[in-house]
Amino acid sequence: MSRKKAAKRPKLAREGFAGRIHYFVERAFINIRQNLLVTLLTIGTITLAFLILSLSLLIYVNLERVTENWSDRVQVTAYFENDLSPGDLATLKSKIRALEGTGDMRYVSQEEALRTFYGRLKGQEALLEGVSSDILPSSLEIHLKKDSRDSKSIALYVERLKKLPMITEVQYGEEWVKRFSHFMNLVRFAGILVAGFIVLAVVFIVANTIKLTIYARKDELELMGLVGATRLFIKVPFLIEGIVQGFVGAALAILVLSGVYLAFLHNADFFFSFNTMEAGLLFLPVTYLIALLFGGAALGFLGSLASLKRFISL
Amino acid sequence: MIQLHNVFMSYQGDGAALSNVTLKINKGEFIFLTGVSGAGKSTLMKLLYGALRPTRGQVVIDGINVTKLPSSQLPFLRRKIGVVFQDFKLLPSRTVLENVALTLEVMGWGKKDINKRVYHVLKQMGMEHKINSTPLRLSGGEQQRIALARALVNEPKIILADEPTGNLDEESREKVLAILKEANVRGSTVVVATHDKRLIENCHKRLIVLDNGRIVEDSDVA
Repeated sequence: MSRKKAAKRPKLAREGFAGRIHYFVERAFINIRQNLLVTLLTIGTITLAFLILSLSLLIYVNLERVTENWSDRVQVTAYFENDLSPGDLATLKSKIRALEGTGDMRYVSQEEALRTFYGRLKGQEALLEGVSSDILPSSLEIHLKKDSRDSKSIALYVERLKKLPMITEVQYGEEWVKRFSHFMNLVRFAGILVAGFIVLAVVFIVANTIKLTIYARKDELELMGLVGATRLFIKVPFLIEGIVQGFVGAALAILVLSGVYLAFLHNADFFFSFNTMEAGLLFLPVTYLIALLFGGAALGFLGSLASLKRFISL
Repeated sequence: MIQLHNVFMSYQGDGAALSNVTLKINKGEFIFLTGVSGAGKSTLMKLLYGALRPTRGQVVIDGINVTKLPSSQLPFLRRKIGVVFQDFKLLPSRTVLENVALTLEVMGWGKKDINKRVYHVLKQMGMEHKINSTPLRLSGGEQQRIALARALVNEPKIILADEPTGNLDEESREKVLAILKEANVRGSTVVVATHDKRLIENCHKRLIVLDNGRIVEDSDVA
């Protein structure tokens, strides 16, 4: 039987790494266009899931700021019998600075203490008639660094402080600090728990949405295998689609959140704050935004990868 | 070109779909595979394009033992085989051009060459005017011809067609058969699984009859 020469294989379109990548990206975008409705639904679902996540992050970031503001009030006061000479004060300050956890500090002389006392008894100054500054002790108000503001660290710090010379007494509002520490731990625990659930929910929603879109195209996957496509050839465009869907979903969520923030939240009164002058909510820091975008892309990629494993039987 | 040695195939929980099938199909042959529903035609076809692996026995295609072929090598074997599926398996979201081009795309052909080749094959089948249509807008006969075009576009060594004329009218049936014969003349080995007795009688080609998973008649052997 006469056999005609087989179809001559023309030059490969995907020669070289760049050629292959170009082909796969082009294929992925053509697939997106051809399955526009499914893609839009997927992106919409991912956007909603990421909106919930980013909104929770926004609340978390602002709650963190509030607790940070509150913890700024944690202060240790060291009292002295009399005013310290500048030399003694300098020596003591350097010794205190050497203690772990020491932040800013401020010396309050006997004179200044009396002035403050006067200020507090405004209208009843007659009570202090004839009182001299000698009856009040001078003191050093010490702010602690952020990491040393829990009750255990403060107790340890105070113990060390008491061993230093010239200090007669140390006060730090022990009960308040303990309660504050417990509250902070509770906030952190609740934050981690809620964030954990939300992240789990988002992973679940995104992975399953992508799984459904791939399931809807399982005939395409099967056919590609039957006409001789390699596993890589089948998978790569789908993985790129997953990355694009995840990234665009996360980006849209950030855009919506920005819109809501600009329209309503940025000038909302912040009732948690002790400082009544402080108003408005913080937006998510850039690092969080980048993490959200990459998280979206990574979830899209992993969701596609996991789903493809189920549907490619090559 | 195709050899089966003592092939057994059974699905989990079911009886044997194929029992002790031994078969040799030479290069350039055109054969009909027939039998009642459940006789094992589709299972045999699936073994030939590597969608199934036999429970026992050997399947050799173009010198390659499919039974021992690693999955990573299977795509390269499939590029030598054009398959026409009973349900066409056309992608509804892609155009006729893109459906037929898929076979060449997976082989890495360039866009220009693909377009030229696909147009040429569609013209041979009288379908070039439908190049930008989507399969859902085509009749059954037209869809079948597109499925044939996809199987033939890279001029494979082997063409496997599972019920290629099922549900087609007389005219479409003739066209499909003519296309398969033309491919055979060009050198492809053609295996057609069919129920269609008229098709078999009109062609006078080698006939293999399956019954209950066994070859009960082979006109070549007879």
